[in-house]
Amino acid sequence: MKATRVFQLTALVLVAVSAVQVGWWLFDQHAYTVEKVSAARAAYAEQVAAAQALLDSGAAPERVRQLLPGIVISAGHASLAPELAAALTSEEHRRSRQYAWEGSFFLLALAACIAVIARALRAEAHVREQQDSFLALVSHQFKTPLASLQLSLETLALRAPSPEAARPLIDRMLADLARMEQMVTQILESARLERGRVDLKPEPLQLAAAVSRVIAQLAERERPESVAISTDIAPTLTVVCDPLALDVVVRNVLENAVAAVKSAGGGRIALSARTNAQEIELQVNDSGVGFAPAESARLFQKFSRLRAGASGYYGTGLGLYIVRRLLELAGGRVSAQSAGPGKGASVRLTWPAAAAQATTPAQTAVGQETRP
Amino acid sequence: MSTVIPAQVLVVEDDPHLAAGVMENLRAEGYEVSVASDGEQALTWLTGHDCALIVLDVMLPGADGLSVCRTLRARGNTTPVLFLTARGDPADRVRGLEAGGDDYLAKPFHLQEFLLRVRVILRRWDWYRNASATSATAMLRFGGNEVDFRAFRARSWSGESQELTEKEAMILKVLAEHVGQIVSREDLLERVWGYDVFPSTRTVDNFILRLRKRFEKDPANPRHFLTVWGVGYRFLTEGEP
Repeated sequence: MKATRVFQLTALVLVAVSAVQVGWWLFDQHAYTVEKVSAARAAYAEQVAAAQALLDSGAAPERVRQLLPGIVISAGHASLAPELAAALTSEEHRRSRQYAWEGSFFLLALAACIAVIARALRAEAHVREQQDSFLALVSHQFKTPLASLQLSLETLALRAPSPEAARPLIDRMLADLARMEQMVTQILESARLERGRVDLKPEPLQLAAAVSRVIAQLAERERPESVAISTDIAPTLTVVCDPLALDVVVRNVLENAVAAVKSAGGGRIALSARTNAQEIELQVNDSGVGFAPAESARLFQKFSRLRAGASGYYGTGLGLYIVRRLLELAGGRVSAQSAGPGKGASVRLTWPAAAAQATTPAQTAVGQETRP
Repeated sequence: MSTVIPAQVLVVEDDPHLAAGVMENLRAEGYEVSVASDGEQALTWLTGHDCALIVLDVMLPGADGLSVCRTLRARGNTTPVLFLTARGDPADRVRGLEAGGDDYLAKPFHLQEFLLRVRVILRRWDWYRNASATSATAMLRFGGNEVDFRAFRARSWSGESQELTEKEAMILKVLAEHVGQIVSREDLLERVWGYDVFPSTRTVDNFILRLRKRFEKDPANPRHFLTVWGVGYRFLTEGEP
């Protein structure tokens, strides 16, 4: 990595120096031509003066013409032959034109090289910056559940509590492990989405069934007693989507809502769905901590976490980014609204209606070419 | 004192699991524990309550731990602060200590180490309080300066009133306990910062410079806070002749 950078920087310097050299060469050649032509003009002027002097001293015009062939004499007056003067001017112009063309071509080629190298360097710096911030964020995100896990384990070791007293500690450890597992999953999912390595196999799926499956998994793992989840989805409602992708999308949105409601000390989550000719829409309303309306666009960006904890106090900042990418790949979209901090939030997921989706299966074929 | 009335500790941590774990362990050690989940809550609690130690997470929602600590110090609250943070590189530690923290522990931490650090900080403060308990030890007079260890205040020779930070007061206390003797930088670190000799001996030098500025008539030619080259410092109440 470092060697490549050194190589690129060296190449950049060499190309820049070459460009300067070409510029200097151009200037020098032009100056040289101008100098040569004016020297030739001066020499001819001397010949004209000599011819005039000879004529004035009474020499025969014929004799003068023989001695100085480039001179024309008319009515006792010597001057330079017009074709010679024209040849001098045309030579000067021809050389100048040649240098201008050749020079500009070289300069253009060198400028292109500089642009290519500079672009590569910038792109590399950007990637490195992103990697650094990603690593910093991931390690930071892992340290909190790790610290909690270690604390619980060391408490068990140090205090040797009774089985009843140990139960909450064990529950906490399991929840910490679940947190970390969720983070690993999200990081891998987002990395795969990033590289386009997702092989989506769309098929018609019942939205209601998918939602209740995710709710059941969530209830099993987290037991969020303080959170009441209600659904109102017609069992006949079908979306054409990759089953895993649908699961991930619904799970991430729901986990987010649960975290937001928990941060607010408990509350409700209501899922409802409706459809029209073009689209199927799933709406997830929660009574959680909400967010400032101005932040709604930022929610779906990578690594954006809201200060109020709407994306969960332990969120990776990847969950809603994954939702957005997966929906985009399925030809759908996602948006979020909140009336403000403390006022709950509403996330709206939209898929193209089944019929429309079925006619354009290529929309989900992203990344298939990367599979061998 | 602390053996009779359990010391009160405030834990400021937004992660409910960590907060619960820290609280339970401190309770098991016999401390009284209150928990706040963000900086604002902590500052509100502290306006109505006193405590012996604040365990403060750096990454908090809203105002972070560093600014909470700065706000406290600006209010004149000298309660010792133990920072907990997911970032443990030296630059972050320095920031924590600069914000007025007493100690710094990176997550994930060992329970025993955490409990030890809590004990050390409280013991340091017990020593300081006990060493300033009588009217004779609460005041220090030298070269026209007057230091009140209990109020963390001083009046300098020029009549200017000074607010002392807890570290400045502690360093002065250690020096005042050893008037005329050589106190090494390491001793000062050990007594004032505890076993975790993270702040370098340069830190001690900086604090001595600050004390000279506050209390010496000519800080460039000190008569009370004398440097013993290569060893440490000697404090003279009468001033060097």
